[in-house]
Amino acid sequence: MNEVLSLHNVSKSYREADGNLLEVIRLRQLELGAGEQVALVGQSGSGKSTLLNLIAGILLPDTGEIVVNGTDPTKLSEAARDRFRAANIGYVFQSFNLLQGFTALENVLLGQMFAGGHSGTERATKLLETVGLGKRLHHKPRALSVGEQQRVAIARALVNEPPLVLADEPTGSLDAKNGEVVLQLLRKICAENKHTLLVVTHDPTVQKQFEKVVRLEELS
Amino acid sequence: MNLFKIVIKNMRQRALATWLTGTSVALGVALAVAILLIKQGVQQRFEQGTLGYEMVVGAKGSPLQLVLNTVYNLDISPGNISWKLFEKLRDDKRVKLAVPFSVGDNYHGFRIVGTTDAFFKDFEFEPGRKPELAAGRIFNFSEAALKSAFQEAEQRAKEREAKERGEEVKPASEPPANTKEHPFEAVIGSTVASETGLQIGQTFIAAHGVQPSAEAKEHTENPWTVVGILGPTHTACDRAIYINLDSFYHIEGHEIRQATAPAKVEEKDNDPDPGQVSSVVIKLRSPIFAFPLYRELNDRQDAMAAFPAAEIRKLFDIVGNIDRLLLAQAILILVVAGVAIAVSIYNSMSERRREIAILRALGARRATIFSIVLLEAVTICLVGSAVGLVGGHVVVAAANGFLYRASGFVIPAFHIVALEWYILAVAVVLGALSGLGPAWGAYRTDVARNLAPTS
Repeated sequence: MNEVLSLHNVSKSYREADGNLLEVIRLRQLELGAGEQVALVGQSGSGKSTLLNLIAGILLPDTGEIVVNGTDPTKLSEAARDRFRAANIGYVFQSFNLLQGFTALENVLLGQMFAGGHSGTERATKLLETVGLGKRLHHKPRALSVGEQQRVAIARALVNEPPLVLADEPTGSLDAKNGEVVLQLLRKICAENKHTLLVVTHDPTVQKQFEKVVRLEELS
Repeated sequence: MNLFKIVIKNMRQRALATWLTGTSVALGVALAVAILLIKQGVQQRFEQGTLGYEMVVGAKGSPLQLVLNTVYNLDISPGNISWKLFEKLRDDKRVKLAVPFSVGDNYHGFRIVGTTDAFFKDFEFEPGRKPELAAGRIFNFSEAALKSAFQEAEQRAKEREAKERGEEVKPASEPPANTKEHPFEAVIGSTVASETGLQIGQTFIAAHGVQPSAEAKEHTENPWTVVGILGPTHTACDRAIYINLDSFYHIEGHEIRQATAPAKVEEKDNDPDPGQVSSVVIKLRSPIFAFPLYRELNDRQDAMAAFPAAEIRKLFDIVGNIDRLLLAQAILILVVAGVAIAVSIYNSMSERRREIAILRALGARRATIFSIVLLEAVTICLVGSAVGLVGGHVVVAAANGFLYRASGFVIPAFHIVALEWYILAVAVVLGALSGLGPAWGAYRTDVARNLAPTS
């Protein structure tokens, strides 16, 4: 299988206030193929979000190798890594992380802007229509429900057609009904476009929807 | 979507802070521009005002006072010079034109200037531009009438001196017949006409002194009749009332007192002086005569000469320091505005860190984030400066009405001064400097920490 994500012997520690090192990630191996959808589960504070930040190149590992779509972003310069992230990784956050001063369409266009690929509004508009927000393009986040906000965030993550989509507790801020709708939407679009999806969650109802569930503890 | 759009969105999100900081920049720039425009405009107008006044001759004293009094109708006259000296200058082969002026009265603050018809016929207040009548005619003038007026003024002086000594006063002589032939006539400047509403045929009563005063004696016995109104010259002429020099000396209080000792020992002339004038404006046949005549006149004990252009330059050399002080004040305001921008953006950084982290997670480089914050500070300064530039010109345009009423000239309000571009550049640099600190803070934002859910 063609691997989109491969991690080997990755570790990450933080120095605490008292000077001691706190290891938050120690991971032997994780590999995800193209179009694969995986739920990564673990207890709160087990380093799930840190792992996603390492994969996204927002954090750098202390040791190990992270390869995304054939490239090890940790070996790139910071600027190149930022550009690589914009083009290759879609990121959906628990708290949506939309920019409040921008409309739904503009938030999606921001995702497009830094990748340096598409420049028009067609793809962003189409994606928002796909997630059911065709009539809410010019609404700012405050005018949208939380479910709608997360759908905008999904459209933003997918606008550059990234091979890898990371979702950090994507239903964590939603009620059960909205959470299910949003997760199904995310999975459906990723499946249709062969995006590899790695969802981090501690929610058992989310885990149940995935055929492949990986426990973080088992990877160390 | 582009960087500038992000900057504008950020500014709109913090509209009040943006507006306030932008306004402070605009005020600083407007003040600086207004100072520059007024300084340059006033200097230009003052220098232009001297164009027709090649040399001014008057009593010994301050040359600047003489120039201000004769050319701009400001300040008081430093004293009088003899009519004989005027005649000598008029007849000097080096002199093309000599026009006498006598001052001492006002009407509603507008200075009354006694002169001859040469002022209208031969004098050019700017090269090629003579005072032109917008309505009416100039007053009648004859030298015989003037001499007669001198005699009468001298007689009155003698009577007053006798009265002061307690001697018996001889009855005043009848006014010479020619006084009746040449009634009290006046030609008024355009501003005088518009401000006082005086029209052809109307009369007015002058008050003694060159400045209006509640205690000033009014010459009720001799009302002047307006016979002409000058067109606007945009010089001090617009604010003056020109009267026949002989009528000036018919007025009570304008007596001619002979000096007890001859002042002009150089001329060995003991004849009594027929009269006096406040100053004489000289136009030379050639510039090469300027310095010899200047030296000759300044060697005298009873008169001096001044070059108006040189005196005004000296004046502005002095005033220039005040301008620089005001300009420094304006720059200080700009600096304070720059600090306000830095503080405003810095204060917003805590709420912005999340947005910055989001942008970074979406792929924005650190340099891009740095540029966004820097561009925001520069944009506030640039827009504030642009508004300030326009505002400075508008302020001067608005002040022109007052300036015209007060001085008779206007400043070209919408003329761009070269220094304005420097002010704009300074404002942009200031914006960049004020944005550096917050931009550096944004550059160093910890993405992972600021992406974490807040609740």
